[in-house]
Amino acid sequence: MKYWFRKTLKHYLMLLPFFFFFSVFFIYPIIKGLNTSFFKWDSVNPAVFVQFQNYINLIKSRDFIISFTNILKYVSITVPLGITVAFSLALFVNSLKGPLSNFFRSAYFVPTMMPLFLAASVWRWMYAPEVGIINTALQAIGLDSINFLKNPAYMMFALIIVDVWRSAGWNMVILLAGLKNIPNDYYDAAKVDGANKWQEMIYITIPLLEPVLFFVIAQGFIFALQVFDAPWLLTLSTTQGYGGRLKALLFPVMDMFGRAFGVYKFGEASAYGFMLTILIIIITSILFIVRRKD
Amino acid sequence: MTTFFKFIKKHFSIGGIFKWTLAIIFLIMALFPIWWMFNIVFSEPGIPIAINPRLYPTSFSAGIQNIKDVLSEANVLAAYGHSLTYAFLTVIGSLLLTSMAAFEFALFDFPGKKILFALVLVAMMIPTAVTLVPTYLLVAKLGWVNKMQGLVVPGLASAFGLFMLTQFFKDIPREIMDAAQIDGDTHFGVYWHVVLPLSRNALVTMAILTFMTTWGNYVWPMVIAKNNDIITVSQMINWYNDPNSFMTVNLMMTAFLLAAILPIIVYIIFQRQIIQGISITGLKG
Repeated sequence: MKYWFRKTLKHYLMLLPFFFFFSVFFIYPIIKGLNTSFFKWDSVNPAVFVQFQNYINLIKSRDFIISFTNILKYVSITVPLGITVAFSLALFVNSLKGPLSNFFRSAYFVPTMMPLFLAASVWRWMYAPEVGIINTALQAIGLDSINFLKNPAYMMFALIIVDVWRSAGWNMVILLAGLKNIPNDYYDAAKVDGANKWQEMIYITIPLLEPVLFFVIAQGFIFALQVFDAPWLLTLSTTQGYGGRLKALLFPVMDMFGRAFGVYKFGEASAYGFMLTILIIIITSILFIVRRKD
Repeated sequence: MTTFFKFIKKHFSIGGIFKWTLAIIFLIMALFPIWWMFNIVFSEPGIPIAINPRLYPTSFSAGIQNIKDVLSEANVLAAYGHSLTYAFLTVIGSLLLTSMAAFEFALFDFPGKKILFALVLVAMMIPTAVTLVPTYLLVAKLGWVNKMQGLVVPGLASAFGLFMLTQFFKDIPREIMDAAQIDGDTHFGVYWHVVLPLSRNALVTMAILTFMTTWGNYVWPMVIAKNNDIITVSQMINWYNDPNSFMTVNLMMTAFLLAAILPIIVYIIFQRQIIQGISITGLKG
């Protein structure tokens, strides 16, 4: 017994530092947050137990409905579009050889190295009326300028461009590694059988790349559902006013942030976090179920 | 001209031309915003964009003047210093915590290993949105708002980092460790003297990725570092972006450039490690 204890104790001692911080700053906040979500609390006055009132208030609130509608619209466009672009880039880079391949891979990856808050700040000026390069170009070819960040018809689209611009390189690198992992024998065999490029894609590349594709798609959804930096900066949001004109770029994390740090409704904000988690769990479960069926 | 077309016809198919056109359009789209930011800094300010669309840099001295102006702003260098400290402490702390735990998960068996590792995997799926508000409340209770430890400590136990290092450490041959143990090295000694030096590449990769995410962290400093004596680069950019600060576009772009320059330099130096590190998450995940 004593020997067994001494033998295993050393393992736990090495794990202790990580799990100490992990418990205090990750697990405890989650449990505490769940608890807080049942209280009305502004961090100054004593908390009042209100059962499910925070959740009910949220579901009834207009901003909550807008932000959940927006997020569903956003993820259903940005994830498929982003993955398609990343996959195309990966296929292209993979078709090249030597220094040319390295050059394109490095160049496509550059946007990923810009911190998101900077990417959004620069793009805000690209989109700007009058001084922005995009509107200057539109006017140069005789079109009307568009207020991309104030006209709700264009705002979602403008955000998606920024997101795809920043994330495509990241996903390209992961997909490229997956493509390089597919043994050449498969393609050689397909050539012998007289398969064309399209058939190679459908019967070899996509099935063999499926685990990597699934990873990229699932990760893409989880990130996109928590979008904050880019829409916050593109709309010049503050805790006093966020989401842009007609709340066209209002998303769950922004709304949660505003409720917590703008009006100090910490109970409601905690409940918000859990509602968002439930949405994320639902969407990732759907992905897993769809995958298993195939 | 006809020889040109013949050359094109001989070497490119219709599909090939389409592919290359698209590839070059994407190349321009990827690089242009950064290039444009650079050009605005290095152009005479005040000239309307319709006259000088800033497609290439036109004035080196204007750029230097812009940079001088931004750097002379009271908080800018301080913000740089805070962000560097924040990133440095996060890198060191999380590397230490995650590598110790990854050492156990990758190389040993002990009761409860599966459950603990599963916990870490689940943690990777949990959105940071859930922990943002309660973690802030905890940090506030500890009195760490507007303090460096408030910025650094909550981010140290990174589930993602642990997962990644575990994958890397699995490739370490067992024989080398057994040899060290026979030589009388302690458990911690094996970790410190054998495993860490052997996985220098993995640690460098992790360090760079952690540095990049910390430097780019926007939400957490916004919540924690509100005072001027702790403001980070992302907060400084927030201030430049604020319409109430009445900044001109060229000064704003200069601030963006100064904030971007460090990650870009790191990328140029450590490109191989960064790309390798990201690739491995997809293949082993």
